[in-house]
Amino acid sequence: MNEHKVVFTGSLGAGKTTAIASISEIPVINTDIQTSDFTKPVMRQIGAHSSTPSIEVANRSMTTVAMDYGEVNLELGKKLRLYGTPGQQRFDYMWKVLIHGAQGLVIFVDNAGTDPIGDLARYTDIFREYILTTHTVVAVTRMDLVPRPSIQVYHNYLHQLGIQLPVFSVDARSSESVANMVGHLVEMINGESC
Amino acid sequence: MLSETATEQLKQQLESLLDRCQPICAAVVVTVDGYTCAMKQRTTDQYSLERVATMGSTLMSLGDTMTAELKMGSCENIISENQHGIIAFMHINHNLVLVSLTTETNSLGMLLSHSRKCAENMAKTVAV
Repeated sequence: MNEHKVVFTGSLGAGKTTAIASISEIPVINTDIQTSDFTKPVMRQIGAHSSTPSIEVANRSMTTVAMDYGEVNLELGKKLRLYGTPGQQRFDYMWKVLIHGAQGLVIFVDNAGTDPIGDLARYTDIFREYILTTHTVVAVTRMDLVPRPSIQVYHNYLHQLGIQLPVFSVDARSSESVANMVGHLVEMINGESC
Repeated sequence: MLSETATEQLKQQLESLLDRCQPICAAVVVTVDGYTCAMKQRTTDQYSLERVATMGSTLMSLGDTMTAELKMGSCENIISENQHGIIAFMHINHNLVLVSLTTETNSLGMLLSHSRKCAENMAKTVAV
């Protein structure tokens, strides 16, 4: 197969669009729209003590309503086609549309979100059938802002679900960081196709 | 977000649309990011219009993205002609989309002309 289709999914603001833009070798096709429910920022405390400062963790003005699309050229003339799903629940019909025919899935989780493990739970549940039959990795973003939960906590949670997936700390703005994670996923896909 | 007055006016304009054009069985106004502003259908609960509205925002966004990619200016409308009906999606302005539908497969012209007129009137309403 000369092309791999990979889908980036995950919660609102987790970095799907940014990650695709970081590594795409073509101008990214995106359907970002200004949100009409853009209100006050969501704050989250960094540490366990009440004296530790809070940081702004969600203040979105744009949201994807259909999809993002980018491409990466791989070795031996192969191509990676990257699709980003909308993050908001009301666009969930696009998730099924986009996952069709995909060889790989990346679940993005915003570690600075209000409930990162809950977000992972939601997406592993939505894509459970796909996860059990194809190739999936978890990309945890913004660990530089909020280091907890740790990667081990994600592994432990997945273990409880009976799922074993690679979990990466990813900086969606860094092409190197995103490419490293995607490279691992491509190796998983190639491993099966060999 | 729209004022209560503007939302009420949009509802009235949807009612007028359905009154003036018998083939149209439902219509809904949605923001480009998928929030329903106003909706009207001839038979109560015939359709899950909020779901249709959100899909309308997705389709319009894809239409806008495609026309921009092809340098064809702005996307005026999208028509879905189906075995048992027609759905029309069109911009009211940059922020709002009108979705209208008919189960009469020979009423495309009426659907488009009445919906377009309604969208133009709605644009004036929300501009005030």
